[in-house]
Amino acid sequence: MSSQSVLDVVQLHKSFVLHNIDGRRVDALTGVDLHVNVGEHVALAGSSGAGKSSLLKCIYRTYTPTSGDVILTDTDGTRLALSALGEREMVMVRGRRLGYVSQFLRAQPRRTPMDIVTAAGILRGTDVTTARVLAMEALDRLRLDKGLWDVHTSVLSGGERQRVNLAAGTISPPRLLLLDEPVSALDPANRTAALDVIADLSAQGVAVLSVFHDLEAMERLASRIVVMRDGRIESDGPPIEILSTLRAVAR
Amino acid sequence: MTNITPVAPTLAVVGLGHAYGGIDDTTIAETGPAAGTSKHARTGTVVAAWDVSFDVAGGEALGVIGESGSGKSTVMKSIAGDIMPTTGRVTLQRGDGTTAVITEMSPAEIRALRVNDLSIVHQNPADGLDLRITAGGNIADRLTAAGWRNFAAIRERAAELLTRTEVPLDRMDDPVGSFSGGMRQRVQLAKALANTPSVVLLDEPTTGLDASIAAGVLDLIRGLLDEFGLAAVVVSHDFSVIEMLTQRCVVMQHGRVVEHGLTDQLLEDPAHPYSQRLVGAARA
Repeated sequence: MSSQSVLDVVQLHKSFVLHNIDGRRVDALTGVDLHVNVGEHVALAGSSGAGKSSLLKCIYRTYTPTSGDVILTDTDGTRLALSALGEREMVMVRGRRLGYVSQFLRAQPRRTPMDIVTAAGILRGTDVTTARVLAMEALDRLRLDKGLWDVHTSVLSGGERQRVNLAAGTISPPRLLLLDEPVSALDPANRTAALDVIADLSAQGVAVLSVFHDLEAMERLASRIVVMRDGRIESDGPPIEILSTLRAVAR
Repeated sequence: MTNITPVAPTLAVVGLGHAYGGIDDTTIAETGPAAGTSKHARTGTVVAAWDVSFDVAGGEALGVIGESGSGKSTVMKSIAGDIMPTTGRVTLQRGDGTTAVITEMSPAEIRALRVNDLSIVHQNPADGLDLRITAGGNIADRLTAAGWRNFAAIRERAAELLTRTEVPLDRMDDPVGSFSGGMRQRVQLAKALANTPSVVLLDEPTTGLDASIAAGVLDLIRGLLDEFGLAAVVVSHDFSVIEMLTQRCVVMQHGRVVEHGLTDQLLEDPAHPYSQRLVGAARA
């Protein structure tokens, strides 16, 4: 494996056993191999149910992989087997090394956008003062109205919450960032601003593994596209090639 | 630098077990999740908890999930020193670096531990406070137990704690019995933190409060756990409480730990049939 490798997924399988529904087994991932390098943005494509979100969740350990390895290589070359890490160690890896931005903001009540984004910066090792400055920059770049920075997030719209979520996920970015439909609720102008912020991550050397439902976002951001189908990888290549195939299929 | 070696746990529970009645290998084998009960059919022994192990570091909160009778309270009482478990060991790292082996302590040592190093926030504020005396008096009580003698210093510390837990200072000299449920819970938190314990046990801390009040108390607890770097154990049947306060959880059924994991993992990908049923019921 290249020394530039940040994420190595090896023969990852995930099955759910539904004990309370006649014990049936649902296979979500059936042997995924994937590598993501420093500064690389790999976009996952494929229809609903192909296993894209399951793959992200298995890497983040929101799902427990059934078998296979997920290895995160740290800046000093240490290889951390996330799939085998203890729970407390995994909590420590989440944050500075590994981040996850979902479609929805999950925030405590009575927290403001500034609180949430600043706290995310502090979690990744930034001091309070710097985190506040970075939080303001991030919210500004994502075009969140300044009048909303110090109100509780419960009053925000879906699109506003999504931008807060993205600001929190990208401030002092981790080594590997997982994005699951992070701009799905944004209007075109805000969407463009959000995609710019995500594009900057790659310039900073952050490895990104993403799921976007539209091809334009992938075209704008991805350095490589991986197509999934039935829980495994169907194809993997440069965006130009893959996108033309995907567009042909869509037609 | 890669340093993910966790710090030494502040609270460690190792092989904890407690039974009411005689036990032998068959009593243990014939109770628990597989048997579907914690009561041994032949001997009538109740194995309230068995083979329970977990640890919690400072700044970390662990959730304990399970229905009534799953053994949660037995585990909490054993940690608090309220019961002497049949087997197992509970240790606590004090703020001064010494180790307390709770399962080997005398009642007097337990009392001192509960004043200085380990606090409990009860579901019912009446269990943690004297409702007849004032908010300030309740806190002073805990401080004097720890050796505080200077009246002005005690007043000042009580005011500081009540401010931190968002209790209006003009209520400091009112009897707690005249307070609302949410405010009583805030006073209980202030008292629990009075002597900067290293471990706090939260037993259904927001159950019985109105949703809006509960959210405020929960938010306060979250802030306090972060600020004081406490090791916390949270028992709640409410998954939103567990989700907001804890990073890791154990699931108990019929006195045994049936699953442990990261909190988001237990809620999104529970593996054990019982965890799946609990999560399914909460999400329905």
